[in-house]
Amino acid sequence: MYKNATAPFVDEKQIDTVFALPVKTVRVMEKYQGGYFRTETRTDNIQRFKCSQCHNNKPVRVAKAAEMAHGEIVLVHGSQTRPLSCYTCHNKDERDFLVTEQGINVDMDHSYQLCGQCHFRQKKDWVGGAHGKRISYWAGQRVVKNCTACHNPHSPRFEKRWPKTYSPPLSKSK
Amino acid sequence: MDPRKNKKICQKPKEKDCQKTRACGRREFLKGAARAAALSGAAMLAGCGGGMLGSKEELSLRWKEYFKKHYRLMTQQEKDETIRRLEQLAKINNNVNIQMSSAAPIDGVLFGYAFNVTRCEGYMECVAACVKENNLDRKSNMQYIRIFEMEHGQMSPEVGNAKYYHQVPVEDHFYMGVQCYHCQNAPCVKACPTKATWQEPDGIVVVDYDWCIGCRYCIAACPYYGRRFNWNDPVVPKEEMTKKQHYLGNRMRGRGQMEKCTFCVQRSRAGRLPACVEACPTGARVFGNLLDPDSEIRFVLKNKKVFRWKEDLGTDPKFWYFID
Repeated sequence: MYKNATAPFVDEKQIDTVFALPVKTVRVMEKYQGGYFRTETRTDNIQRFKCSQCHNNKPVRVAKAAEMAHGEIVLVHGSQTRPLSCYTCHNKDERDFLVTEQGINVDMDHSYQLCGQCHFRQKKDWVGGAHGKRISYWAGQRVVKNCTACHNPHSPRFEKRWPKTYSPPLSKSK
Repeated sequence: MDPRKNKKICQKPKEKDCQKTRACGRREFLKGAARAAALSGAAMLAGCGGGMLGSKEELSLRWKEYFKKHYRLMTQQEKDETIRRLEQLAKINNNVNIQMSSAAPIDGVLFGYAFNVTRCEGYMECVAACVKENNLDRKSNMQYIRIFEMEHGQMSPEVGNAKYYHQVPVEDHFYMGVQCYHCQNAPCVKACPTKATWQEPDGIVVVDYDWCIGCRYCIAACPYYGRRFNWNDPVVPKEEMTKKQHYLGNRMRGRGQMEKCTFCVQRSRAGRLPACVEACPTGARVFGNLLDPDSEIRFVLKNKKVFRWKEDLGTDPKFWYFID
């Protein structure tokens, strides 16, 4: 029944309880089967953006500069034989941007373009909807989380931690 | 208030009637009994119940609640009335302001669900979110979702371990979530003797809690362990209660009633994702409209390797597992 359903579903018109999200979004520069979709912005969530406030080839006076100089970042990304460095992704000359292997600047809001260089399978699934997740609504304008909402870009693997809760045994014998 | 308890009140006038007329034949006896029952019922509504049985208002509400129809036979007006009564009863009994809805299924929507076995790491955020959203019993620790920790190569949750409590994920293991699959050909619906459970046009299998007699045939019929039974009155702290409720979803159940996952009907019919999907930290859960060719769930079905648990039973569950 559902395998052959082809009629488009215009959910914006049919569901009046779907509201605009209270987050800033940006249109993704990729198309999926239903047209354009949006993703959360990243730049609002980075503390001390823009980066060029400090990184600008001029001497700057910053209080507590030693503590603020990204010492807490641990880079666990890439293979052991070929680990990534800061400038694999960050543009050395224009600090507000990321940079691809081909030397093209990528805005922080569109980081999927950068991640997708290596993780092209995940990017394909993310564009289609099998990787990542939508925000709040299954209906209405499609807004998905960006890569960095779930993964820490500096150590993208999920951490080992305790589960949030536990399941009681079904029966005493088993 | 259970009207059957009136029997005690009914019996007293019955004897008096008999003494008066003396000729206490079967017909007179029944007449007297019926009159007495009607009288005591009216008296109860008029406020003779006393403090023990609750206020007059509460009693009247409960009386009406007891004689309401099956949800599918109600008109929209009757649905609105029962919802108003339930809201008032919640206010009187527990002092909580709930907003209940009876939102109807949306045209052109058939809900489907997919679970990424590769992505799930067993953090159980979904389980906690489900318990909170659906007002599940905290006392008996009821949960709709179970996450099974399985070794590579195991194919069925029946051999997995759902009782794990250690840091996750563990090497060489994967995690598989199990809940109600909302089968298109649901065995539980066929088993129910009172038609208290049925499938809605949008594919959600729901329970009318007030029509459930607690026989638990559906538990026996379900091959997936998708249903839960209330052995006691559910205990939910007032401040933790989800106030936005649905008549067929997370409204409070009583003792001896069956309940189950409803794909969070109170959320999904408002266009929102179910609580488990929204809580998932790894994005292993995909939810959407199967009839929409542009939806995520259709992308998964078209492009990923999917399987369904116990597909050979022919239950046609609308819940797929897939791997990356």
